[in-house]
Amino acid sequence: MLVMKRRAGESFTIGDDIEIEVLEVAGSRVKLGVVAPDSVAIIRKEARVTREENITAAQPVEPDALARLAQRLWTKQPY
Amino acid sequence: MPQIRTTYFGELDYADETIFHFPLGLPGFEQEHAFLFIQKPHTEPLLFLQSVNTPRLCFILLPILVLDPNYAVNLDADDVAALHLPPGRQPVIGGDILCAAIVRTGGGSDSEATANMMAPVVVNLKEQIGMQVIQTDSSYSYRHPIPSGKEVTPCS
Repeated sequence: MLVMKRRAGESFTIGDDIEIEVLEVAGSRVKLGVVAPDSVAIIRKEARVTREENITAAQPVEPDALARLAQRLWTKQPY
Repeated sequence: MPQIRTTYFGELDYADETIFHFPLGLPGFEQEHAFLFIQKPHTEPLLFLQSVNTPRLCFILLPILVLDPNYAVNLDADDVAALHLPPGRQPVIGGDILCAAIVRTGGGSDSEATANMMAPVVVNLKEQIGMQVIQTDSSYSYRHPIPSGKEVTPCS
């Protein structure tokens, strides 16, 4: 991983047409501005992960796998 | 009464007023805005989030408190507004909102089943509006292992 230090107001480029500027640093949060062509998808990492997990999770499960999953979660009530 | 074709339970009757609205859809399924919650005794405590418009789309959910009785969902002002919840306070899971994790099965092998606790489905129970809330600052995993029965706390 390439590591560099930047201050607010400074920027860097990726390739010829992507520029990322550090707009503001406040506590543990950094506000970034991205200039990129419309064809480049920009998505927060956790949103991308969620999207990918959802697509996998949406694959239908075989009935016996579903039954096993439910059975595994089934809890004997205390007596 | 309208009927719906479901992924797991064949054809079911439903009433229009039982539909939950997801104005933003879910990430990856942004065009899906209408879902039904299905619960069956033989698959408890699982919940099924069935798309009204796509019979083959059904998410398997687990109420988040089943996985962690101390789970606290953090909704920012935008989430609260999007869910039409009263502003100014965090909603109560099980009271104001339903909060459930999407289960991901490991391609048929249930030992690999995990739950996405980083991005739970949150539903305003009164208004029947839902969304998936990504918990950016959460230490919870998006592949939280699903424990076997003896470790699970029964859901109230």
